[in-house]
Amino acid sequence: MKIGDRFQSQFLVTPEIYEGFISLFNDRNPLHVDTAFARKAGFKDRVMHGNILGGFLSHFVGELLPLKEVALVSQNIRFRNPVYLNDRLELRMLVSAVSEATNILEFQFEFLKEDGVKSATGALQIRRLV
Amino acid sequence: METSDMLKQLNTIFARVLDREEIDLKETTTAADVEDWDSLTHIQLVVETEKFFKVKFKAEEIQKFQNVGDMCRALREKLGGS
Repeated sequence: MKIGDRFQSQFLVTPEIYEGFISLFNDRNPLHVDTAFARKAGFKDRVMHGNILGGFLSHFVGELLPLKEVALVSQNIRFRNPVYLNDRLELRMLVSAVSEATNILEFQFEFLKEDGVKSATGALQIRRLV
Repeated sequence: METSDMLKQLNTIFARVLDREEIDLKETTTAADVEDWDSLTHIQLVVETEKFFKVKFKAEEIQKFQNVGDMCRALREKLGGS
């Protein structure tokens, strides 16, 4: 992989993913589980947990890169706009730096909703293990 | 680039990677002198240094770094000794 390489993938925030996240991590904050509360707080509906996008990033790193022998080294994410149940997101990744000395590849990423609005942006680093 | 200027730049990079407000590097500074400078942060330091100075190191070059002074010397070579 080299600087400038681009990758993209689609993700759907299914009820399975939403309920699975709650079941596994027990974050039942009313923003995520109470529609009336979420609307009163100014959102359209229950807001999906931001770290579900972390799960999508994990899938991307672990399964969708041309390299399999990699480890996630760092990740930062800014949540820009809320994600709702059944939203379809496009993840766009750009290789932004490559360090041969350390076997580190850096990516910038963004999650876009179907209307083009950015739901999250950030960067992550992976290390080639072999 | 003068060593003092290079150290100033490295201070900024190291402070950011190590999440410190400031740091005081000398040519003789080693990882043992700086809290949290472990193998993982060392990788980050090299990556951020490469990006900032727009240079590329090889693995065998960084393995020879014993202290910050070695890093400065390697950087000066990469930057054309300026």
